[in-house]
Amino acid sequence: MTALLDKATLGVAVRIARIDWTAMTDDEGRRLREFGLMEGCEVTPRHRGSIFSRDPLALTIGRMQVIIRAKQAAVIEVEDVVSEEGAA
Amino acid sequence: MTAAIPSIALVGNPNAGKSSLFNALTGARQKIANYPGVTVERKAGHASFADGRPLSLIDLPGTYSLTPASLDEAVTRDVVLGRQEGEKRPDALIVVLDAANLDNHLCFALELLALGLPTVVALNMLDLAERDGLTLDPERLSRELGVPVIPTVAVRKRGLAELLEAIDGAIQSHQPREAVVAPQNDTALHQRARALAKAAIVTETPVRRWTQRLDRIVLHPVAGLLILLALMFVMFQAVYAWAGPPADALEAGVGVLQGWVVDTLPENFVRDLIVEGLLAGVGAVVVFLPQILILFLFILLLEASGYMTRAAFLMDGLMAKVGLSGRGFIPLLSSFACAVPGIMATRAIPDEKDRLTTILIAPLMTCSARLPVYALIIAAFIPDRGVGGTGIGLQGLVLFGLYLSGIVGALVVAFVLRRTIAKGNAAGFMMEMPRYQMPQWRDIALGLWQRAWIFLRRAGTIIAMTTVVLWLLLTFPQAPEGQSQVEYSAGGRIASALEVVVKPIGFNHDIALALIPAMAAREVAVSAMATANAIDADGDEDAMAQSLGQRLQGKWSLATALAFLAWFVFAPQCISTIAITRRETNGWKWPMFMVGYLFLLAYAAAGITYWTAVAFGLG
Repeated sequence: MTALLDKATLGVAVRIARIDWTAMTDDEGRRLREFGLMEGCEVTPRHRGSIFSRDPLALTIGRMQVIIRAKQAAVIEVEDVVSEEGAA
Repeated sequence: MTAAIPSIALVGNPNAGKSSLFNALTGARQKIANYPGVTVERKAGHASFADGRPLSLIDLPGTYSLTPASLDEAVTRDVVLGRQEGEKRPDALIVVLDAANLDNHLCFALELLALGLPTVVALNMLDLAERDGLTLDPERLSRELGVPVIPTVAVRKRGLAELLEAIDGAIQSHQPREAVVAPQNDTALHQRARALAKAAIVTETPVRRWTQRLDRIVLHPVAGLLILLALMFVMFQAVYAWAGPPADALEAGVGVLQGWVVDTLPENFVRDLIVEGLLAGVGAVVVFLPQILILFLFILLLEASGYMTRAAFLMDGLMAKVGLSGRGFIPLLSSFACAVPGIMATRAIPDEKDRLTTILIAPLMTCSARLPVYALIIAAFIPDRGVGGTGIGLQGLVLFGLYLSGIVGALVVAFVLRRTIAKGNAAGFMMEMPRYQMPQWRDIALGLWQRAWIFLRRAGTIIAMTTVVLWLLLTFPQAPEGQSQVEYSAGGRIASALEVVVKPIGFNHDIALALIPAMAAREVAVSAMATANAIDADGDEDAMAQSLGQRLQGKWSLATALAFLAWFVFAPQCISTIAITRRETNGWKWPMFMVGYLFLLAYAAAGITYWTAVAFGLG
């Protein structure tokens, strides 16, 4: 089952199934890949915005934390992680 | 071996601990300048090999790859490729990796290794990686990459000697290094990096990192914002509470110096110039050094601890509403210290319109040069007492209000600009969030020293010069007996002409006089008033004994003082800011626009404040 990253539950690891690279500029896409956000990798959404807005989104990817906007997260499809890591 | 001093560039991802390593290697032997033609800061320094031969080091801006997304990242690419104008291609590279984030940092390392320059890898912050439950095998990584890999802990100076020895060896060996071929597309590059990282990691225990635990509070949608607000409030209260004793000591020191000059030199033109012009003027500004250092101390600590990015995260939602991004929060917060480094820091904002807007509103952040003005007027006109029995001082509260006015003004201006002349797509916001770290006193002390030096150099050059010119203008021509020297002088007559324009907003001759030289720098307003008062008080012992604040208290109404404060929230009186804006925007169009709109706002704000205060009977 897939969902969109901007709606994903905080604190639960998910795997990136598909990213719509055409929905963002080349620079944005490249920076996402430089952060290691690409198909097949696991991310955990951690924090979402403040009282001002539900933007931006902080994610853990590997041993790194990165911030992206909900607009980018909305074109990233994610699926459940079925390994034992998902339970952690 | 080359006869010339070898030059070595430190290069790596943001947050790899590059600057700490650079500080540890060079100590205080560094020089900060700009790359010609661009305002990206060039940090260079000197160090020496074990046998005493010198080497020069440059610290390149952190980036993720050789494809730049912003101006400072482009400098890194151009320097390592030997394409940066006026900069020799480095003889060797030190690639700095965060030992705890190998799978990401190795991507850029692979790209750099493919360049074929003599290279050594610094496996930095190994202690933090171990704290995170990682055990690494540097030899294995070295074999895989084909270059020496040296474990370092910059903050404890561990591995520095080995690093220099390895870089020496890499330069000395004549055979060209067999370049590792970097995979050509992003996915393959990442797979290769991940495989390398996996090979280098001996054990990995999943530990709950306290960064995550702390973030649960610090990034909480409500609690996080309250913490940010509390931090900023403490920062501005501290500027007042802590600076008192050292500032008093500095003021007393200037007084002693003036007394000594009066006693030592015969009474003549030169003595007056030194006592009334130079010492009164420069002294009035140098007194604010403690406050400026306290402000910078907070900013440096917030940056070094990793909190600044959290603040950007929390503020992004608000900034997005006016068309900016959380990225802009960092340059804007730096602008509280000084708009010049703040405007320079906007080069990290990838979107052009977002960047332009941030530059145009940066001068609205209350910079440290306004502190002397605010501090003088607040101390003279706002009573020193608590608010309603709380421990909060009224003076600190007024200062906080002035800062807040600047921020609110900036948000409104940004909102308007993003819908009119700087119209564009909604800006993006992508940033890496570093781990929390204990700030290192050495890095902080070095940063403070550099800021103090810049401030004192300004006081010794721009401020000293404008003060002396002003003193000359106020001293000549000599007034006949019975007339005010300040009003009769050439400077006084120019001020009288300006007074006509600023009279409606409650400004008097004193202020008109101070505003002209304050175009050079805001704090000159204080030194100008000090000089004018020193001339005015010439010979009058009672007047000489009074402080500048006491003298103003007797001459200004509260409404005028408040209008003067409101004026400085907006007025673009700083030549350095105008010059840096011209350079950053490549022309006169935007700095002219900035100066124009800010003067209009300043005039309106001072006017409204004055008329309101008068209506309440404070005139």
